[in-house]
Amino acid sequence: MTALIETVEQAKGNPEFLNALTALLFQMADDDFILAYRGSEWLGLAPHIEEDVAFSSMSQDTMGHAVLFYELLEDLGVGRADDLAQLRDPQDFRNALLVERPNGTGHYVENPRYDWAYAVVRWYFYGLFKQARLEALSNSSFKPLVLVSQKMMKEQRYHVMHWQVWIAQLANSNEEARTRITNAVDRVWEDLGSLFAYGSHGAEFVKQGLIESEDALKQRFEEKAKKAFAMCNFDWKGLPQAPAQTGRDGQHTQDLIDAVNTLSEVYRLDPSAAW
Amino acid sequence: MSQLVREGLTEAQYQAKYEEFLAKIDSGRKIEADDWMPDDYRNQLIKLISMHSVSEIMGALPEKEWVPKAPSLRRKLAIMAKVQDEMGHGQLLMRVAEDLVAEYGKSREDLLEDLFTGRLKFHNVFHMEAPSWADAGVIGWLVDGAAIITQTMSLDTSYGPYSRALYRICAEEKFHAQHGESIVLALAEGTEQQRQMLQDAVTRWWPALLMFFGPPESATTIKSNQEQNMRYKIRSQTNEELRQIFFDKYVPRIFHLGLTLPDPTIHYSEEEGKWIYQQPDWEEFKKIVKGGGPRSVQRLDLRRLSYEDAVWVRDALLGNKVAI
Amino acid sequence: MSQDKAKTPFDVYEVFSQRSSTSPFIHQFSLLAPNHEVAMSMARENFLRRDNCVNLWVVKRDDVYVLPPEERESLERLDNKAYRETKGYGDLQSKWRAHRERYEAQHGPVKKEV
Repeated sequence: MTALIETVEQAKGNPEFLNALTALLFQMADDDFILAYRGSEWLGLAPHIEEDVAFSSMSQDTMGHAVLFYELLEDLGVGRADDLAQLRDPQDFRNALLVERPNGTGHYVENPRYDWAYAVVRWYFYGLFKQARLEALSNSSFKPLVLVSQKMMKEQRYHVMHWQVWIAQLANSNEEARTRITNAVDRVWEDLGSLFAYGSHGAEFVKQGLIESEDALKQRFEEKAKKAFAMCNFDWKGLPQAPAQTGRDGQHTQDLIDAVNTLSEVYRLDPSAAW
Repeated sequence: MSQLVREGLTEAQYQAKYEEFLAKIDSGRKIEADDWMPDDYRNQLIKLISMHSVSEIMGALPEKEWVPKAPSLRRKLAIMAKVQDEMGHGQLLMRVAEDLVAEYGKSREDLLEDLFTGRLKFHNVFHMEAPSWADAGVIGWLVDGAAIITQTMSLDTSYGPYSRALYRICAEEKFHAQHGESIVLALAEGTEQQRQMLQDAVTRWWPALLMFFGPPESATTIKSNQEQNMRYKIRSQTNEELRQIFFDKYVPRIFHLGLTLPDPTIHYSEEEGKWIYQQPDWEEFKKIVKGGGPRSVQRLDLRRLSYEDAVWVRDALLGNKVAI
Repeated sequence: MSQDKAKTPFDVYEVFSQRSSTSPFIHQFSLLAPNHEVAMSMARENFLRRDNCVNLWVVKRDDVYVLPPEERESLERLDNKAYRETKGYGDLQSKWRAHRERYEAQHGPVKKEV
């Protein structure tokens, strides 16, 4: 059993521990950061005005979670939070492939043609995964991470409830909606495995007691996902294998490169200026 | 269909109701959605409130580009909160407008249709370009600043539901103005590049800001309902009065930051007790409000397309009105 | 899917929230939704972004029984009911003080104040 590391100072004094912790935090920060960005691209385009308001609120919450993780990295001496979020190159990002996929075709300012079914399904299953991951962190050897995860659990539960209503109502309504949701689930399932992958640092995460094993995490997710499928009256598809490229070790698509460029465009004009 | 026919009233009955209505207005009482009101009062409100609603919804779009690009995590969060509030304000006002058009058998669908076909106008400023981060700051500072002035005036409007929506909106606008000021001050106090970015944005937005409050009664051929709106206590100040308040509040601060305005003549005249300035091109205003602004077509299309793409969603949900 | 259903718009739902467990439920605003579940899932983000909230109700507007406009004036009362408000009993304090002063002048205080 790994001893509990109570403070940031203690973590800094243990290089092996710090390396593993840093790698894990980047995965979690980048997942939320990039997905929140995808959410913000939907502004003004949601199918219903009230949903536009609710969705942009949840994107904001998710961005807030990313900021908590980047700030924890800053406290650990890895760098300034704004620099970590906006000055790294795309190949240094550690988000899963699923979150960098585009919302549809077109650019968020010019001619976006986005797929609502994909948005619902992606956010819902990412939400279930995130719940599972936060649970898998509840006995982490790094106390500040336990506390941060507990804080996020409440908001996360609310998000999941919201998407659950959407996916159930669409999947259980008419033929067209059901087909679109089914197709969206197929597409999300292609990339889903990228979420669970711990990448090359995986063994260290578990050895340092930072988080439960990949298998344990998958089990938590599977329990939730099976219930979700039942609620939608879908046959359970089983958990997919991880794709060849997961993103956890920096293998990304052009979509992520474009995202990172957009997110850092103004900051890069002058990172030393006060904005 | 005239109101007399629709409600089955005689001339005399209508007159009696009208007198009662005016007495209510004059005594400062509020009119509610289910109170009797003359069609011209209702129509003025529909025009004003749906324009306000759509301006909030469309107003988030010039800032949308800058949401992901905001140059720090804190700014990203703040601007996300701001645009969300704006959508929320649009929703509140849309609901108020919907309850008014219900009398004519219309719904949100019809109001949005009017928006997409250009029958529903929205504020000229949201037809404008926002090509730099400084534009996002200027929008928060000056455009929201102008909106706050109009909204504050409208707080004691005679129509109850509008007044209540405005109270909610005003509570959140304070943060928007501060967010805008914070961005602008950072730029004004920053590098040469940042200051220039800010100056360019202010120069670019000035004409649109002048036109925000609408034309003075004298200036134009544009038909204005200001007088009738004031009789009905829908509003209490004229376009020009509001614009003067805007100058009082913001021109000194613009100069304090060392910025210039594209109108070299603007100054406060002690003798006349008002700001003297160059009138913008009001014919240009008319054209822009009708959808001829630089970004008008593109932004409306964006909205319309996504609305059409989502018909399947609304159909699916409507099927669940009884099922769930 | 019948043509009629496609044309019928969503319903109006009124949203009520409770700030804390000792607060009453208050009305926030209304939203459009196809059913109660969707209305509930949108209620918080639309109207309670900055407020505390421990409980939430959504009610279809059609289910709210509204006092007709003509009868609203009847809600106003005559201002002659001081007998059941504290303002109708404003002289009590001075009476108690007068009695106390008269007694203490003769006997001193009943209980010494600490």
